[in-house]
Amino acid sequence: MSGFEVELRRAVGDAHVKAIGADAWQVAPGSPAEVAEVIGLANRFKIPVRPVGTGTKPVRHHGPRMLVSTRRMDHVIHLDETSLLVHVQAGITGLALEKVLSPRGLSIGDYSPSILGSSLGGLVAVRTPGKSSVRHGFFEDAVVGLSAVLADGRTVHTRVAPRRATGPDLGRALCGSEGTLGFITSVVLRIHRRPETRFVSAYILPSVDAAVRAVYLALHEEAAPAGLRIYDAAEAELHFGAPVVTGDDALLVAGTAGPTDLAACDRDLVASAVTAEGGRAADNRLAEIWWRRLHHGEPTPGPAPTLQVTATPGKVRPVYQEVRAAVVAAGGKVRAHVSRFDADGAVVFFTITGGSPDPLREAAERAAQAAGGWLLGARAARMDSYFAALKAALDPNNVMNPGALA
Amino acid sequence: MSRSSVDLDRLRLELETICGARRVSMREPDLDVYARDMWPRLLLARRDGVPPLHRPYVVVWPESVREVSAIIKLARGLGVPIIPYGGGSGVCGGTVPIFGGITIDTKRMTQLRGVSADELVCDVDAGLSGERFERELARRGYTFGHFPSSIYCSTVGGWVATRAAGQLSTKYGKVEDRVVGLTLVSGHGDVIETDGPSRAMRGPNWTQLVVGSEGTLGVICSARLRVAPAPQLRVYRGFEVDDVAAGVEAIRRVLQKGLRPAVVRLYDELDTFLNSLGKKGDDDRHGPDHDIAPVPAEGEGALPAVPRAAPDDDGVVGRLLSLARGRRLDLRQEMLGAALSRPRIINGLFGAVAEKVARRGCKMIIGLEGARIRTEVEAALTFQEIEAAGGRDLGEEPGRAWLAHRYAVSYRMSPVFRDGAFVDTMEVAATWERLLDLYHSVKAAIARHAVVMAHFSHGYAEGCSIYFTFAAHGNSRAESERIYDAIWKDGMEATTRVGGTISHHHGVGLLKASYMAGEHREAMAILDAIKASLDPDNLMNPGKLGLAAARRPAATSEGRRELRAERRPEGRR
Repeated sequence: MSGFEVELRRAVGDAHVKAIGADAWQVAPGSPAEVAEVIGLANRFKIPVRPVGTGTKPVRHHGPRMLVSTRRMDHVIHLDETSLLVHVQAGITGLALEKVLSPRGLSIGDYSPSILGSSLGGLVAVRTPGKSSVRHGFFEDAVVGLSAVLADGRTVHTRVAPRRATGPDLGRALCGSEGTLGFITSVVLRIHRRPETRFVSAYILPSVDAAVRAVYLALHEEAAPAGLRIYDAAEAELHFGAPVVTGDDALLVAGTAGPTDLAACDRDLVASAVTAEGGRAADNRLAEIWWRRLHHGEPTPGPAPTLQVTATPGKVRPVYQEVRAAVVAAGGKVRAHVSRFDADGAVVFFTITGGSPDPLREAAERAAQAAGGWLLGARAARMDSYFAALKAALDPNNVMNPGALA
Repeated sequence: MSRSSVDLDRLRLELETICGARRVSMREPDLDVYARDMWPRLLLARRDGVPPLHRPYVVVWPESVREVSAIIKLARGLGVPIIPYGGGSGVCGGTVPIFGGITIDTKRMTQLRGVSADELVCDVDAGLSGERFERELARRGYTFGHFPSSIYCSTVGGWVATRAAGQLSTKYGKVEDRVVGLTLVSGHGDVIETDGPSRAMRGPNWTQLVVGSEGTLGVICSARLRVAPAPQLRVYRGFEVDDVAAGVEAIRRVLQKGLRPAVVRLYDELDTFLNSLGKKGDDDRHGPDHDIAPVPAEGEGALPAVPRAAPDDDGVVGRLLSLARGRRLDLRQEMLGAALSRPRIINGLFGAVAEKVARRGCKMIIGLEGARIRTEVEAALTFQEIEAAGGRDLGEEPGRAWLAHRYAVSYRMSPVFRDGAFVDTMEVAATWERLLDLYHSVKAAIARHAVVMAHFSHGYAEGCSIYFTFAAHGNSRAESERIYDAIWKDGMEATTRVGGTISHHHGVGLLKASYMAGEHREAMAILDAIKASLDPDNLMNPGKLGLAAARRPAATSEGRRELRAERRPEGRR
């Protein structure tokens, strides 16, 4: 047994250390103090630290490594119902937290349950689109404070305040950093009271274009729906098992929530925008099915989308059109829905079929980028040297998830 | 040339090569002007005619990102500090060149490169003044929604650099909530654009790491900012609540319902009392007012042409000091000094008087604006919620009065300084759970030295900021400075003790630098790392933000001595 393993076992107990290779270990610390201890050890022995949360996609790593799981750190530390804040350990999943909040009439917010299966520490540390809602914004914006262990074993806390003007937002260095700068051990999140009323509604519009325009018309009138989704005809047929819209028509479903008058106001603003763009009401049951699937775990038929493209409000339509044209030109078929709207844009989910998958996908990706869209997992390469310097300052031995953001 | 020696003539020549001779100045009056901002502690010295302690070597007015980059590269080669400077309206000494250096005034970079209607985003240069920015947007049918009382003398870049907040922030958010991307020239002299949808990009959000950096990471040259359609409707209303606690509860209820009024202000008992001393009929004087009409007048938006104050109205601060009004100046000064030298008595007296006279409790101002339909619905729900929380409707007048005079406050400070006293403000914030604790603790801390009143504004679902205004008096400049420092020390420590933040929107500068360690503790390591990344040579605004690298840039001490020697004959010329 290596000296490192001996110390590791002493730090967290034999039961929570598992050797998974010659110089690879899985460790499940039970507290932030233990996290600090094992990371301090890894730093001393120069063993790379690989964070693992619930819902973390398995990544194959080679060579010496210490996989650190947050699964034993799943406590709600403090629920502040006065300020609507909850302080949780990094290992709790969104769904587990929702079970604590729900009996109290509280909720994390109108985020897709598909993301809430992940541990919250991971959700904050790894940024992917789809963590947004018009009403509650981007998930990262709900983080009011966090605690993390740095490479040298020091624990940092960004103290909680509604807003501050005391230099840059230091917590934001760790959000999206994928464990490369520090290991997030707990987060303080904004939560919300469960809304008084919810409405859902469905509309048919003459095109995806018109549907996108209608959505932004409503948003410019300051409607703040809890959820919005646009389907093109092929996608709608697959999702609802029948040709609910035909030809170029698009289906728009919307959910609104809040105090009854406000939820009704938002619903009516969406309806007026639809009318203005030449649309009409559709069978409301479609919206109900959509909402149940989104929030009550009913399965959605069809394979997972091939391609997710994030676009700012002005780029949603070009992205949809250009990708579609590119796939069709390359001999494939494509269907899509647009979802996860917020003030900064939306995500277009494409499903590509027919032909040979790789060239089609490449054509689609090229078209998406040319139209101003951002592919899943995009990185600001122009900041690479600055990121390297930031990492070097916090993690001189490069033990914190090395290579993750390179 | 070695970096340890700076030749002033060469510096000037090099800068003139970059910007042209007309945009480089080493003239004495310019160096004096750029030695300070609006930090009240510096105004104490200025009142006594004391020359500024720290002046820049030179002031430059670049007109492009390319010029800024060239200046920084030059400064880097010479080891000379760079101090970015916008409107000079800061109140924390953030632009004071404590190690000398090149002050870069951004005010000649003023383009507003269009507004994208689809994206609701505009691209604007850092040096554009707040007033012009908002007027240009209004002309195109938009608003940025940022209306600090300094809007007539502050710049967009200054707002971004300090995480500023405007009076309507409860709806529109603070500046950091509205920044999509920045163009920054880093301490390396490189041009960086931080844009990109943060939610889709992996890695830290660099925009949020630069916003609030107060010039310590680079020069912010332009920003992509979210704009909103110009409001179609404005609704303002005053309310009364029994006390501060009841008012705080009412605000919390409104915001946690998901309602977003543009303005929520709650005045504590003393502030309410002093407000009520305003002359009767004060509010009728402006008559039908175009800037509070439901639809803003063309090109005006929410901005009056000039900050408006009734001619003989000194405002609340003036009233705070009106104890000796009408007497001869010397007597008045004497009485004012006597009164302010005994802040405990005055605070107690005011507390008692305020309780008796303003038995009706605390005043609140609520304003909503935005798209017509939703604003109407939100206004009805908001007023309903405040009444349910025990608020008594005072009608539109208090709201109109506030709206008409809201820019005048800061311009009323100079008479106070003339009278030998000083005034400052302390804006702290906390979550609702800790807010009343924060209010009482900080108030008690300041009240040991000064007359203090407060209002609550800038609310969020999870908390609120408190804005303390205090006035005090010292018999000499030394005494005034001693009292001033004691107020801030006790106020900041009280804030940290109860879990508040030491600044909600004024920033850190020099004033709060020594309290940053208490604010962030071990997390200062992250700030140091960001600094090491973007400005490893500590060129950018050294000595600010409480950074561990609060030393002057390497090898400039000799240079500074040399420069000082060089500058003397320069000054006599």
